[in-house]
Amino acid sequence: MNCLNPFCKLALLMVLLGGCNDQGKLSLSQRSIIYCAEGSPESFNPQLVTSGTTIDATSNQLYDRLIAYQGDDNTLVPALAKSWHVTRDGKKITFYLRKDVAFHQTDYFSPTRLLNADDVIFSFNRVLNPDHPYHIVSGGKYPFFQNIEFDHLVEQIEKINDYTIRFHLSRADNNFLANLATDFSVILSAEYAQQLSVSNTRQYIDTFPVGTGPFKLKEYRVGSLIRFYRHEQYWQQPAQMEQVVFDITSSNTGRLTKLLAKECDVSSYPIAHEKITQHSDLTLESVTALNVGYFGFNTTKAPFDNVLVRQALAYAINKKALIDTIYQKHAELAHSILPNSSWAYDDETQAQQFNLDKAKQLLAQAGYPQGFTMDLWAMPVQRPYNPNAINMAKMIQADFSKINITVNIVSYEWNTFLQRLSLGEHQSFLLGWSADHPDPDNFFNPMLSCSATKTGSNRTFWCNQHYDDIIHKALKTNNISKRKQYYAQAMTILSQQTPLIPIAHSKRYQARGNNIIGNIMAPFGGISFYQVSKLALANEHSSEQDTQKNTPTSVDNH
Amino acid sequence: MARDKIYLEEVFPSPSMQLWINFRKTPVAMVGFSCFIFLVVLAVFGPLLAPHSAIEGQLNIPLLPPSWHKDGDVSYLLGTDELGRDMLSRLMYGTTFTFGLSFIVVIISLILGVVIGSLSALTTGIKSSFLNHFLDVILSIPSLLLAIIIVAILGPGIENTLWAVIMVSIPQFIHITRYAVKEEFRKDYVLASRLDGASPFRILHYSIFPNIVDRIMSQATLAQSAAILDIATLGFLGLGAQIPLPEWGASLANGLDLFYIAPWTVYLPGLAILFAVVSTNLVGEGIRHALKMRKER
Amino acid sequence: MLIFTLRRLSLFTFTMLLLTLLSFSLSFLFPGDPLINISGAINATPSQLIEIHQRYQTDSSLFWQYIAYVDQVTSGNLGLSMASQSMISHEIMNLLPATIELSIVALLIAMFIGIPLGFLAAIKHNKATDNIILSVSMLGYSLPVFWLGLLAILTFSINLGWFPSAGQISLLFEIELVTGIQFVDILISDSPYKWQAFADATAHIILPACVVAVAPATIFIRLARTSMIEVLGTSYIRAASAKGLTFNQLIFRHATRNSLIIVIRHVGLQFANLVTIAMVTEVIFSWPGIGRWLIVSIDQRDYTAIQSGLLVLSCFIFVVHIMTDFIYAALNPLARGIKHGER
Repeated sequence: MNCLNPFCKLALLMVLLGGCNDQGKLSLSQRSIIYCAEGSPESFNPQLVTSGTTIDATSNQLYDRLIAYQGDDNTLVPALAKSWHVTRDGKKITFYLRKDVAFHQTDYFSPTRLLNADDVIFSFNRVLNPDHPYHIVSGGKYPFFQNIEFDHLVEQIEKINDYTIRFHLSRADNNFLANLATDFSVILSAEYAQQLSVSNTRQYIDTFPVGTGPFKLKEYRVGSLIRFYRHEQYWQQPAQMEQVVFDITSSNTGRLTKLLAKECDVSSYPIAHEKITQHSDLTLESVTALNVGYFGFNTTKAPFDNVLVRQALAYAINKKALIDTIYQKHAELAHSILPNSSWAYDDETQAQQFNLDKAKQLLAQAGYPQGFTMDLWAMPVQRPYNPNAINMAKMIQADFSKINITVNIVSYEWNTFLQRLSLGEHQSFLLGWSADHPDPDNFFNPMLSCSATKTGSNRTFWCNQHYDDIIHKALKTNNISKRKQYYAQAMTILSQQTPLIPIAHSKRYQARGNNIIGNIMAPFGGISFYQVSKLALANEHSSEQDTQKNTPTSVDNH
Repeated sequence: MARDKIYLEEVFPSPSMQLWINFRKTPVAMVGFSCFIFLVVLAVFGPLLAPHSAIEGQLNIPLLPPSWHKDGDVSYLLGTDELGRDMLSRLMYGTTFTFGLSFIVVIISLILGVVIGSLSALTTGIKSSFLNHFLDVILSIPSLLLAIIIVAILGPGIENTLWAVIMVSIPQFIHITRYAVKEEFRKDYVLASRLDGASPFRILHYSIFPNIVDRIMSQATLAQSAAILDIATLGFLGLGAQIPLPEWGASLANGLDLFYIAPWTVYLPGLAILFAVVSTNLVGEGIRHALKMRKER
Repeated sequence: MLIFTLRRLSLFTFTMLLLTLLSFSLSFLFPGDPLINISGAINATPSQLIEIHQRYQTDSSLFWQYIAYVDQVTSGNLGLSMASQSMISHEIMNLLPATIELSIVALLIAMFIGIPLGFLAAIKHNKATDNIILSVSMLGYSLPVFWLGLLAILTFSINLGWFPSAGQISLLFEIELVTGIQFVDILISDSPYKWQAFADATAHIILPACVVAVAPATIFIRLARTSMIEVLGTSYIRAASAKGLTFNQLIFRHATRNSLIIVIRHVGLQFANLVTIAMVTEVIFSWPGIGRWLIVSIDQRDYTAIQSGLLVLSCFIFVVHIMTDFIYAALNPLARGIKHGER
């Protein structure tokens, strides 16, 4: 048949293209995972941030820590440090490092040596020492470390030999080891830092990262994707997936669409849970997270510097309705900032119940019987502690209008939102907190302590010396029941002063295809793709790819 | 005694009446016209006629499907959204915003555009050339882009959207008025008036305007359908009406998250926009068709 | 031809002047410090700040500041993005070709569907086919593009599963970004999965391009119909018909070419319209183009990006406009004597 007609040629071309052997793409997809993420990371170094989105993308993928959490009871196990020793007075801690840890080899860096004490010292001195050449790089803010007053705690880090280091602390601190196991205490490469200093491009250490983790960075397209390749010389068993791609999709419906159209294997913060459970080849999973969603006041701005006003508003919020509508009942009502899964949870803590008359009474007492206008900042993205802050703001707007308060809802893009909050531009806001580790201090300190007002993570700008004293005392002792007492006192102060109104403790959800196996989420901290593998789908060609056995090795990072 | 008809026609319809008679003869245009009037009425009286509030929702009935569904409720004819707000009431209130505002936009930009256009048509020489180039530039920037710039400067909000869409619609009117006035100026009857010694304003008012009104009207409907789409698009992108105003584009964006569990929150505002634009276009088509018929007689 | 070129060049310079003036004034109209708005250096150290002051001549009068700004722009420095702190010129270089790709494919689809349909409607003037085509085109013209995009995703991606719903290409393929136009990049890359990648990219572009093409296609239908009706009424067609040419010969040999000329002229105008529609479509389909970037920048209040993005986009549209004017004038000698303001 003559095919000179242009239409015929076109048809032939389409047939050829369509009939092409799809084997190539299939085997590619077998070796890779595509994860639909809800936002772009602010940086590739967890030391600089507290945002969950950034931690998810970087901490467990690119880096390791000295020690890690494992198991249901969250015991501390060795990671980069194979063992450690704490002196009796708790002020000197010695770590003995592994000798077989290799750094990433990437397009921009080739390591010539394995991990040693210099790398650990560099990673922590950068945070501690203001004169360190890398301290000011990328802004000089280390919010997590500044919140726990790391620089006051650690006097010195001493290098004993190439594989041994010793931390000298100014006081005993029960939280120190827990803090070293969080997602923020990552170990960077001192050799890479040296190379960057020479070429005068120091900021690349946070934008072109090098670490020891199971994956290394291959490509980052701002706002679109992050591509990770497997680190073949990982000190544990290398990861089973050759490639992990983060497909950055900020729209909830967009993520669900991609999941349903099989363009993503795993999706974060899924909506429409019923639709997912209806699909036979999708699974919905959840973890009960250590988190709290709250309504906070900027206590430096009138009228929220008046405690009566704050309490009044606390009586005016219908929390149960919020849980039913916004969280669709997938959350517990919060009586305090601690969820009941924390050991320091106290049944006795009183929280304000929904009572409009009491609210009006307190408002009149405070001198605002005719109400006032205020703005309420709500986040545009879904977070584990709040699936839809904009709608929650709308409901609170409706609630407050019943006591003559007019609310203007303000929102910005997520990173811009956080930035402006830390500058104190708001009057009130909806936000939350996900714990980094199971110690209750992780709730009390970063949200509400005086030092946290300086780093910007205490967006209420509330500073109460009595409260600070109590939580510091709670850190100094080892006695669990005594600590519980202190935290109960702290919660009473919070309930009286109401710098924020805790609303709910929610679960974190994730949706994945049925053929993806392995743990990704943990009750606290960021996600990890280290243990993930993919089953071959029944009707696809699979030559060597059989069901991968998922054997967790001796250490895993939650 | 029967009156004899001396003249063939007792009444000579004026050009506008002729237009209206021709318009009435086209059934499709009349359908469009009635829809248009319906929307105008809704835009003005919607808030009074709507059964429920568009802003406060009943939180105990979120996501009710439309009443023809088995779970639906007749008192909430088109279902509710995630905060329990009645969709029908939202759409009716939204008519005021999307449709009503587009009407205001067209009227204001028409007045301003025609005034500037006719004044500029009287100029000649360098001023004229400068104006031409300036117009060319503005017309070559797409209207949505220009609207986005203006909103980026002024900030989001429905008042700023109004200003942005007005500023974007004015150039079209300037251009068409200029073109039409210049064309009329070349005609003989205007020459006759000029030879009589009439001032330019008098010529404009008595001779030219009555003859170009129709072209401006047809441009006005085009501008209105473009304005409806622009307002809705800006609302959809989050740059227009803010929470919780029930503007159609913003309602659609609101329903996006619920697309899978409550698709009617996306379908209904879209249908409303489609309905409004189609009726405006039908009216416009009818006017143009009637103009052509009048010319061909 | 020379006069025409000179006229067009003067128009071009005038427009560039106006656009850069507009863009320059934006840095003062946006809230915040004008220097930060124009340079985007929110994390600048004091010494870097001094250098930026120097570059933009902030101590001199507004006129010299404007000259300094134009100087910076022409040497390729469009400032740093406030949100990502990367060079805007790099980001735009990566994003603009994707928008061009989408727009060109959409334009082709609109032309190949719209023009034949318009001719068909004109040939069957005032019969049923004509009315049907006109009604369908009116519907297409009235659809809000974002709604159409959502419906298309629902139908074709979710329910039928024919096409993917987002992006330019499956993320599994690593095609190196050379020109930014996906198809070209695939062909010049050395990936082993070249042909699958090509097929994949085609599947990804079909849905957004069709959605973008709907409104321009209806305009082409209308234009083609009007011009064909006009051509069919001319005397030379009547003469040819009287000579005894068959219907096919008449249409394909004579009428089509002459009608096309009038239509081609409007392609340039339509392009501006098309790029705007593409901007909204990019948001819905997560197409990595300059439209989506611009809208995200507005959300983030990234004033430097907005300023530079608008300048680049408007320049681009205007350049295409002028180029199509040139092509049209080259094809049709009658057009060269065209006067101002007549379209």
